[in-house]
Amino acid sequence: MTTGRGDLVGIARRGPVSDALGAALGWAAPVSVPDLAAPAGDAAWHDAVADWRRQVAGQVRPARGVVVAALEADLVPEPIDEVDPQRWQQSFGRPFVRWFTALQLAADLCADGGSIVVVLDRPSSLDAAGCGATVALAEGIATAARSLAQATGPRGVRVNTVTTPAHTHDPTAALAGSPPPLAGYPGDVATHVAGAVRLLLTPDAAAFTGATFHADLGRSWA
Amino acid sequence: MSTRTVVVTGASGGVGEGIALACAEAGWRVWVLARREAEGRAVAAAVDAAGGTGRYLACDVGDRPSVAQAIDAVVAADGELHGAVHNATSGRSSLPIPMLDLTPAELADHARVSVDGLVHLAQACLPHLEATGGALVALTSEAAFEGKLRLSAYAAVKAAERGLARTLAREWGPQGVRVNCIAPLASSPAMVDAFERDPTMAARVLGRIPVGRLGDARADIGPVVRFLLGDDARYVTGQTLMVDGGSCAIA
Repeated sequence: MTTGRGDLVGIARRGPVSDALGAALGWAAPVSVPDLAAPAGDAAWHDAVADWRRQVAGQVRPARGVVVAALEADLVPEPIDEVDPQRWQQSFGRPFVRWFTALQLAADLCADGGSIVVVLDRPSSLDAAGCGATVALAEGIATAARSLAQATGPRGVRVNTVTTPAHTHDPTAALAGSPPPLAGYPGDVATHVAGAVRLLLTPDAAAFTGATFHADLGRSWA
Repeated sequence: MSTRTVVVTGASGGVGEGIALACAEAGWRVWVLARREAEGRAVAAAVDAAGGTGRYLACDVGDRPSVAQAIDAVVAADGELHGAVHNATSGRSSLPIPMLDLTPAELADHARVSVDGLVHLAQACLPHLEATGGALVALTSEAAFEGKLRLSAYAAVKAAERGLARTLAREWGPQGVRVNCIAPLASSPAMVDAFERDPTMAARVLGRIPVGRLGDARADIGPVVRFLLGDDARYVTGQTLMVDGGSCAIA
């Protein structure tokens, strides 16, 4: 597996979003998190994930930092009362475990004093109707990133989160009468996300850790 | 406040029991949904003693058919449903584990009870809550805002529940159903267990509470849930009330 210039690692699913982010930030091919199911029980599942983490950590050592992003595709809006159990596991359950695995790997890879940035798909608060799985995943993983910041803080590793609606925006989701979004909404990854990530990777962001920044042109305020 | 029928998941003890008893004090019909039968039936009996009508149903919130069957049984018995409270959490909730050591199975278990359980409860209850203009309350935690060094899975699923509840509030508002969260800080068997495992946690938690004590599940937490389920909260939806003695300075 390759890491571009070797000083920045991306952990992401290949696709338009991660490709755009990777091109803007300078990683050639991201590390992909395998969808490791439970083939023969919980112990086998744990062993498979642990083995994968060890394998990757033995091959990759970024000097500048790690970006975890764009792990999911097919973020289709669906009201909660219409989601069947299989679809829910595809939209939340399995991604939730994959994201945690990705965060654990990011901590494994990040050198002392480095920076981890998590980029999450998240509809803005005003546009969240019908996006229960995506919002639940984003809120959960943003909190997980904050927990990771506490875990890695003692060795100087900062962990911050940038959320973006660029991949999930559904213009029909907002209630009639909601204020119109600002020009440029929902934004694009290369323009509105990469710059924020770049900043958070630098010493200029030394005071930020455990923070979440919504790159949604002001459409979320909490 | 007229008699209502409400369900409380994970109400065989702790905060869930406190919520059930607070609802009983208003004379409500309270259904205790839990896996532990002996404890659940004891709480149902306590609901009777507190002025309500208490009944127990075996229910695994992580299993969609189990939840659907429970809600069907409630509505078959009482004819209606006014409120639902999702209090159940994984039995691992108070077990401290470093984040980097969490296993996929542990993560999946937390998600199954807290998040999948909320989805199952929401799906089963919606048509009945829509008929009565009812409400759903989900229990989140200050951990959802702060993150937790050794309870990261618990913190993450509590944040996920909060996000899901806010989304449901926007989806269901037009249908007349309100959805809110509370973030309680109360003494409970799980809290006592956590303090015994980590005595320094007790000092940290109590030392940061402006009112100087843990909340009581029945006297401090339950009435807030009762309020959110009732008519006085008719204009409150999509909110998270911090019921924690000021511990987490969010706003």
